[in-house]
Amino acid sequence: MLTVSQLRKSFGSAAVLDGIDLRLEKGKVLVMIGPSGSGKTTLLRCINLLETPTEGSVAVGDLELAFAPGRKQRKADILALRQRTGMVFQSYNLFPHRTAAENIMEGLITVRKTSKQQARERAFELLGKVGLADKADLYPHQLSGGQQQRIGIARAIAMDPDLLLFDEPTSALDPELVGEVLKVMRALAAEGRTMVVVTHEMKFAEEVADTVVLMDNGRIVERGTPAEVLRESGNERTRAFLSRLHVQ
Amino acid sequence: MTERQWNIALDSLLPLLKAGVAFTIPLALISFVLGLLVAVLTAIIRLYGPKPLALAAQFYVWVIRGTPLLVQLFIIFFGLPRVGIVIDPFPAAIIGFTVSVGAYGSETVRAAILSIHKGQWEASYALGMTRWQALRRTVLPQAARVATPTLASSFISLVKDTSLAFTVTVPEMFQRSQQIVATTYEPLVLYVEVALIYLLICSFLSFGQARLEKHFDRYHTR
Repeated sequence: MLTVSQLRKSFGSAAVLDGIDLRLEKGKVLVMIGPSGSGKTTLLRCINLLETPTEGSVAVGDLELAFAPGRKQRKADILALRQRTGMVFQSYNLFPHRTAAENIMEGLITVRKTSKQQARERAFELLGKVGLADKADLYPHQLSGGQQQRIGIARAIAMDPDLLLFDEPTSALDPELVGEVLKVMRALAAEGRTMVVVTHEMKFAEEVADTVVLMDNGRIVERGTPAEVLRESGNERTRAFLSRLHVQ
Repeated sequence: MTERQWNIALDSLLPLLKAGVAFTIPLALISFVLGLLVAVLTAIIRLYGPKPLALAAQFYVWVIRGTPLLVQLFIIFFGLPRVGIVIDPFPAAIIGFTVSVGAYGSETVRAAILSIHKGQWEASYALGMTRWQALRRTVLPQAARVATPTLASSFISLVKDTSLAFTVTVPEMFQRSQQIVATTYEPLVLYVEVALIYLLICSFLSFGQARLEKHFDRYHTR
């Protein structure tokens, strides 16, 4: 479903991603962990082209985009790739001028050109799924952080993307609100969605991930099953990162 | 005030209001709506247009903001006929005011667009929107809220600036008051009276502004 090959991203002379290779099968969940500044978020943003990679390639399904310095991507390819992916942001980024239901409908109406009626039905279906059926007509500022993030997830899956990207979806939340968001994400994993999740929630990684990847300094320093990476790793950097997490 | 002055004030009320309804209000309304279109277009071109167009837009704002509105009206109405462009008083005034509102308004709209958080663009792009769709569906509606108080002030200024149209022979409210002064020799009465009518119109607009801001208050932007 997702193939990332030899991906590099530099901002000026600073290399943020330094030759990333990644494969993810359909229906699998990949969790990326690593210290801040290690390039996790940049990698996620390179997959849906919110950042343009400097070199390498990204493929989602049968759509492959290759990058090289100075090469311009076709707009249609960029849009097509983004339509195949959904993204959930750390700070939710809901549209404040739209109600919860309208947030979920927005992509369907504007991008898919779905009728308002159909989009509304789909929105209500998804509101039920994330447990917010009674909040349809509230604006984002009237919702708690956890509720906003669940709307963010519903907005992303409304487009039925092949691949879901989560950028630290619970990092901005009060601790007591983290659980409700992770519950929705667990349900998505259970129904066979393909997901890439950047998170510091180690328990979630352990229970839900098929693969865990540890990044440091723009490289993948270790990858494997949750047990291999989180429990049995002999890698010095992995152990150092995990012990810092446990101390916190 | 003497009884004669009261009578003059009362007798002038209807002619003044007529001129207001026939000229002052249409001048302000038409110029503002057209000016707003020009403002949004200019702001978008300056922010996202190709370089030469962006520079042209910047040049336009520079020239209009750097020259007096009165002089601009004179150029349009008295100057342009010298090169064969003759425009009637009313459309000449509309053009002058539109161009002015467009230049000042474009700065307001540009600042409002820039004030919208980057995450709003990204959320739109992540859904697969084009830049134009993101602008139209996500950014401009939120920018409108930000720009409302400043644009409302511009509209109120414009209502008062329409009095300059008398210089290009538009028979608007202020010109009408001058005509009445010429026959009654009561400048204080008439000019205070016309000032009060402007005040009344602007008060309505302030009220409208408050209503509009309340409408936008249904949501918050961070």
